[in-house]
Amino acid sequence: MAYAWLRFMKTAIEIGIILGISIVAAFAVNSFSPAGIALVGQWDTAQGVVTANVKNDIVIESIEIGTVDQARKLYDSGDYIFVDARSRDDYEEGHIKGAVSLPLGQFEEKIAAFMERYPPEASIVTYCSGRTCEDSHHLAEFLLGFGYNKINVFIDGFPGWEAHGHPIE
Amino acid sequence: MGIPLNNFFNNFLSNSWIELAARWLLGVTFIYASYSKILAPAVFAKIIYGYDLFPGVLINLIAIIIPFVELVAGLALIIGFYPRSTALVIDAMLLVFIISLSINIIRGHEFDCGCFAINTGNQSTFSGPLLIRDLIYFALGIYVFFYKNPRRLCMGVN
Repeated sequence: MAYAWLRFMKTAIEIGIILGISIVAAFAVNSFSPAGIALVGQWDTAQGVVTANVKNDIVIESIEIGTVDQARKLYDSGDYIFVDARSRDDYEEGHIKGAVSLPLGQFEEKIAAFMERYPPEASIVTYCSGRTCEDSHHLAEFLLGFGYNKINVFIDGFPGWEAHGHPIE
Repeated sequence: MGIPLNNFFNNFLSNSWIELAARWLLGVTFIYASYSKILAPAVFAKIIYGYDLFPGVLINLIAIIIPFVELVAGLALIIGFYPRSTALVIDAMLLVFIISLSINIIRGHEFDCGCFAINTGNQSTFSGPLLIRDLIYFALGIYVFFYKNPRRLCMGVN
C-alpha cells in the first residue's frame, strides 16, 4: 500500500517536472518569438474576424467594412474594385459579380499583371470567405506594401454577400 | 497451440530493442508534430478554434502550451528521461486528440475556413485515418509505460 502510494507520488512529481519545463519553455518562446500570440485571442465571429492576435497583427480594424450593406454601397458606387483573396478554385465556383481574382497563395506571380490593370491609385475592397478567414487582411497588407493605400477589407466576404442575395457570378 | 505463439509475443514485447524502437518512434513523431505549431502558433490556434470544442478564452493558451509539451515529451522519450511518466503525458494528449476527432466525426463537423494558411479543406475529410494513427500511437504509449525490463539508452530510472 505504502509502496503503491510512493510510486503514484513519484509519477505525479515526474509528470509535474515534464509539464513545468514545457510550460516555462512555451511562455518564454512565445514572448520572444515574433510569431508569438496573445494569451487570449478574439474567437467570437459576432465581434469581427477571428484571430489569435499575433504580435505584428495583420487584422487592422480601421480598414474593415463591418456590414454587408456598407459593402453594397461601395459596390454600387462603382468606384471600388473588389478583389477576391481566395483560391482560384473557390473564385471559379462563385464570386462577387465583377470581382478580380488575386489568390493570396499566388500573390507574387500575379501581382505584376494586377498592377498593370489596376494602378495603385485604385480604390480596393478585398474579401475572402468571411469572418473565420484572415486572407483578405493579408492581401490588404501585401497591397499596402505595393503602394495601394485606398484599401478596405469586407470581412463578411463571399458567404455574407451571397447570403444577402447580392449579385454573384 | 496458443502457448508458443504467446511466448513469442511476450519475448518480442520484452525485447529492449523493440521498446527502444517504440519509444524513439513516438519521440520523433511528437517532436516533428510540434515543429510547425511552434513556428506558427496562430495557425494552430485557428485549427483548435475549428474543432469548435474549446472555450475561446482557452484557445490561445492551448496553442501556446501544447506544442511545447509535445516537444519536451518527445525529447524526454528519446533520451529516456522519466520514460514511464512521459508515456502517460503523451497518452493523455493522444486521448484528447482521439476524443476530439471522434466527437467531430460523429457529429459530422468539418471546419473549412477556406484560408490559404490552413488547408483543412483536404485534411478534414480524412480524419478517419488520423484517428487510426492516433490509436496506434496510443497503444505504443501504453506499451512503453508497462514495459518492465531494463531500457536501452535511457538516462533516467524507470
